[in-house]
Amino acid sequence: MREKMERKKILKIVLMLLILTLLGLLPFHLSGYWVRLFIHIFMYAILAESTNMLMGFAGYVPFGNVVFFGMGAYITAILMGKGIPFFAGILIGAAICFLFTLAIGHPILKMKGHYFAIATMGVSEAMKQIVTNLDITGGGSGLSLVPLSLPSVRDVYLFFYFLMFLILAITVLVTYFISKGRLGYALRAIKANEEGAKSIGINTPFFKMIAWALSAFFTGLTGGVFAYWMTYIDSPGVFDIVIAVKFIIMILVGGAGTVFGPLLGAFFIEFISELVWSKFLIFHLTILGSIIVLVIIFMPKGFIWFYQKRFTLVALLENVREGKV
Amino acid sequence: MLVMQTIVNGLLIGGVYALVAVGFSLVWGVANIINLTHGVFVLLGAYISFWLFQLYHIDPFLSIPFSMAVLFITGFLIQKYLLNYVVRAGVFMTLILTFGLARVFENQMIVAWTGDWRTVTTSYAGSGFVIGGVSIPYIRVAVFILALIFCICLNIFLNRTKIGMAIRALTFNVEGARIVGIDIGRIYMITFAISAAMAGAAGSLISTIYSFSPFLGTPYLSWSFVIVVLGGLGSIYGAIVGGILLGLIESFSVLTFGPGYQVAIGFVILVIFLVVRPQGLFGKKFLT
Repeated sequence: MREKMERKKILKIVLMLLILTLLGLLPFHLSGYWVRLFIHIFMYAILAESTNMLMGFAGYVPFGNVVFFGMGAYITAILMGKGIPFFAGILIGAAICFLFTLAIGHPILKMKGHYFAIATMGVSEAMKQIVTNLDITGGGSGLSLVPLSLPSVRDVYLFFYFLMFLILAITVLVTYFISKGRLGYALRAIKANEEGAKSIGINTPFFKMIAWALSAFFTGLTGGVFAYWMTYIDSPGVFDIVIAVKFIIMILVGGAGTVFGPLLGAFFIEFISELVWSKFLIFHLTILGSIIVLVIIFMPKGFIWFYQKRFTLVALLENVREGKV
Repeated sequence: MLVMQTIVNGLLIGGVYALVAVGFSLVWGVANIINLTHGVFVLLGAYISFWLFQLYHIDPFLSIPFSMAVLFITGFLIQKYLLNYVVRAGVFMTLILTFGLARVFENQMIVAWTGDWRTVTTSYAGSGFVIGGVSIPYIRVAVFILALIFCICLNIFLNRTKIGMAIRALTFNVEGARIVGIDIGRIYMITFAISAAMAGAAGSLISTIYSFSPFLGTPYLSWSFVIVVLGGLGSIYGAIVGGILLGLIESFSVLTFGPGYQVAIGFVILVIFLVVRPQGLFGKKFLT
């Protein structure tokens, strides 16, 4: 029995290494279109993975987390405009997002469930409008950045591919350590029963704040990279609530609260989204929307859960029975 | 004088805001469904009025019953065949399902009416009367009065009819309602249908004032959120007061800060209310 578990573990590690090698070699053998697609997928994977730190583990759904994406993007763009190097820029952007959550976290995290979700959404929409009106952010016309100059366009793609991949790996690792450590334990307790968690002495505001701050940090980091990659950002583009709902759906589809769930969700949704968009341009939103509707009805707990249930049809119908009024 | 004009503007538009939000508030309060398709329903109402006006020269005010009927049926079917399957799974599921649905509808609207901005301009569009230096367009007054009439009718319906009372029963205690024999699924369908119809009416009214495009569902949704928090969940009076309040706040913020910051101010007020008085002025606390 013990040996079987050991073998399974080794298999899993080997599989992971294989996938990592594959992804590492991929960009050198594929066309620019595919590399760009993967960069997009990695980006959404990071966003899903980081928001999962709060949403999946603690059960608080931060609908407005996209505000950090936008903040990271704008801060990086503004700083780079003043001559600050890229890596410093994105780190400062991420750090400011981290501190921002610590500042507004206290009153907002006091709210439960939907209050919290709406409040974060309010923060995001308000920030979007404020940014559109300030001069330093270029107002409605957006901001441009000096593009990265490397010997060839291909090199630029490779740079962003590996950078996003690296950030993704770090985020997954952080999530892994959260899930195995005290923070994860506290968050899961909060999700199960917040009052109960408080009564056994867990400092719930502190842990919720840290989880949210971490998710803000990585989201902000990604925003900064996005800005440099696109070389142009504008307020409605980076504070778009659709991005937020998208990565929340990815978390749900993949499996909230798991380490790899959001990754799977991101791959699945972005891949399908891109395929659908290229083949069915006119109706792609219809198809994407319909897929979302079907997933919510049949698989609200995500792929990972479905895999744990051994992919049976019965499990799907069970979900419908649970949800039906 | 400018202040008077601002007050009048805010008041008049507040009526429509209230009508937009009242359906959203109802569905949320009764069935615990956050309906992200609500903005799209409003747009649909507007487009129906637009189409009838363009094709058959039907006055937008006369097309209201028609858009309400179409949206009633649409809402009913959505609740019956889609939402009723996820209601018990939690409010976020309904939120995401309606999000997906909203994208589907948006797509269909683009295919049907293209992305061009539309509006309904009648022959009497520009005229109005002036009292003491304040200009009051006829259309805005008509829209305001009609919006209020719809809200009040809805209130009467909820308080005086059997179905209305069944709907209200669900806002108090779902299990209790089930025990006294109310068919929850059917009531949800009716509630959602009514909510959609209200949104459709609001859309038809809005088509006479503002221009719209398939992607403009979001502002109506934002107003709905803010008004629900301001006025309180599930309360019609709350929606009316909240709507008028929002109209006034927006109007004054345009006066003070310029046109750019309305939405921001609205949301800042929303967050403040959530911290200070989450149940709004008249509402019950959200179901968790």
